[in-house]
Amino acid sequence: MNSRAYYGEYGGQYVSESLMNILDEIDREFEAAIKDPEFMKTLGYYLKQYVGRETPLYYAERLSEKYGTKIYLKREDLNHTGAHKINNVLGQILLARRMGKTKVIAETGAGQHGVATATGAALFGMECTVYMGAEDVKRQALNVMRMEMLGAKVVSVTSGSNTLKDATNEAIRTWAKTAEDTFYIIGSAIGPYPYPKMVKEFQSVISREAKIQHMEAEGRLPDVVMACVGGGSNSIGMFADFIDEPSVELIGVEAAGKGIDTEEHAASMAKGRPGVLHGTRSYLLQDDDGNIKLAHSISAGLDYPGVGPEHAYLHDTGRATYVPITDKEAMDALMELTRLEGIIPAIESAHAVAYAFKKAKEMTADQSMIICLSGRGDKDVNTISDYLAGKGYLN
Amino acid sequence: MNRIEQRMDELKRSGKKAFITYITAGLPDMARTGEIVKAQEGITDVIELGIPFSDPTADGPVIQQASYEAIQAGASLKKTFALMDELRAGGSDQPIVFMMYYNTISNYGLEEFAIRCKKSGVDGLIVPDLPYEEQDALRDALDKQGDATILIQLVSPVSKERIGMITADARGFIYCVSSMGVTGQGGTYHKDVIEYLKSVKNAAKIPVMMGFGIRTPGDVEPMKNIIDGAIVGTHFINLMREADFDPGVAADYAIRFKNELN
Repeated sequence: MNSRAYYGEYGGQYVSESLMNILDEIDREFEAAIKDPEFMKTLGYYLKQYVGRETPLYYAERLSEKYGTKIYLKREDLNHTGAHKINNVLGQILLARRMGKTKVIAETGAGQHGVATATGAALFGMECTVYMGAEDVKRQALNVMRMEMLGAKVVSVTSGSNTLKDATNEAIRTWAKTAEDTFYIIGSAIGPYPYPKMVKEFQSVISREAKIQHMEAEGRLPDVVMACVGGGSNSIGMFADFIDEPSVELIGVEAAGKGIDTEEHAASMAKGRPGVLHGTRSYLLQDDDGNIKLAHSISAGLDYPGVGPEHAYLHDTGRATYVPITDKEAMDALMELTRLEGIIPAIESAHAVAYAFKKAKEMTADQSMIICLSGRGDKDVNTISDYLAGKGYLN
Repeated sequence: MNRIEQRMDELKRSGKKAFITYITAGLPDMARTGEIVKAQEGITDVIELGIPFSDPTADGPVIQQASYEAIQAGASLKKTFALMDELRAGGSDQPIVFMMYYNTISNYGLEEFAIRCKKSGVDGLIVPDLPYEEQDALRDALDKQGDATILIQLVSPVSKERIGMITADARGFIYCVSSMGVTGQGGTYHKDVIEYLKSVKNAAKIPVMMGFGIRTPGDVEPMKNIIDGAIVGTHFINLMREADFDPGVAADYAIRFKNELN
């Protein structure tokens, strides 16, 4: 057993033998790269000049007033391409270049990671193929078009449930065939080691900035930090620099879909059991035979039956708390944020906002919380309008 | 002695090459899977029974579809154990391995799984998403049940310096995948396949079988002098579908393949 690959009992490298050498190579190159000042300087350059970092830590005055505690929003929605996904894509694509790979592949659910990968591939002149479930191709048509404009090939995956889980299966299959010249850019904090570690490393810029910004604004650490959790990339980035600060409460918000007591949710922590999927051991929604259950969320980005292994570990050790928020609660919060602050968040991020309103009731006016606003809601306008029109949504 | 190892010894003594088939358990239903297994008794050297899983990432479209249909038809690990009980009670001495994904085992519970395998005479396991480094827990559980169920090791064309480690204490036979990627890629082997098979053969103390993309004895002709046997999965499923799962067709195919191989 490679104990480095584990977070407690979670993580590991559950992949075919064909991929073991390539994982080892990625691990070595990744560890060397993040210790290489030149590599980090290049990454920093693109994050600043191309992505537009640092992102603001915005004090949401009207929300704070209404909910009686200080609410700060970490504005990852202001990144180029509209979400936090680009932070990690640039890190991994620079690593792919360093390893001499000429092609990249990615899986995508909502299309944000696919768009970010297609963007990075265009920027560095790499061949890019994005795997997307046929259902998601339908409900995220705008992002499909963006990816194609950027020169990526979008493969519509028609196996299983035709969503992110199946797109990931197909990306893994393709990777196992082509790993000799192709780099797989995973967007969530999932996958075989070292992927969860890489995603955390490249997303941790969120909490490194936020910690300094909050210190400047308040002269102290925040009391609460929260983020939505699907696979867990924005949340692990938002938690990273606060994990060793015991006074800071960490809260991950899972998608409860139509409710965790229904069969339609994506709350792998609340309702799942440990198991192995997509190269890693973590909490999973599964049936009595160990087959993976379909997840459900109005937010395509949270519509995943598993969660990153470090989150499972943070959950079991009690360092972070994971709570469910339903579709309806998220949509109400989305509208509230839009009307009070003039910010239309991604439906994913609205889950964190929804729980923040609940959490605020336990907090005083002097306390403060940071919510990771992981993405903007432009991509969700169709879903939002259907929802508001009472038409339900495609899922 | 373990049935697989016993069969390998017999083949070695008679100087013959092994023939191995794969069929998804419960396709189209458990009863017919049982008939297909029984029809190959004494012909096919080892039968792989695929335990269907919802997310078979090591499989190509044919086995994915087979798994999907089998699950829809109600197939599961528990029902496959029941089929094994029936086969063994009926006197079958056929070496049988389960090919399955790790979550199915993990979900069942490792200790209970190992006990149940022994009880129903599962001779070996092939777990494509459980590489060498992750095998300790399962091996421990299997070892507690003695020789009943052994873990078959997979080697890939890019395993290279890992070959020594993987083959060192491997048992039964080594499963060499002929190409990168997933099952069922019709005869397109890895470019360095000959060199790769030779290096596995040199390292291994046990027989070396080749699988992935094999349809006819002709497909293994170029490497016939290196390998100790061939595994047919995807093509076997296609064949069974075309023959409407006629056990007689399975037996005929196995007889012909085995004869030509030897």
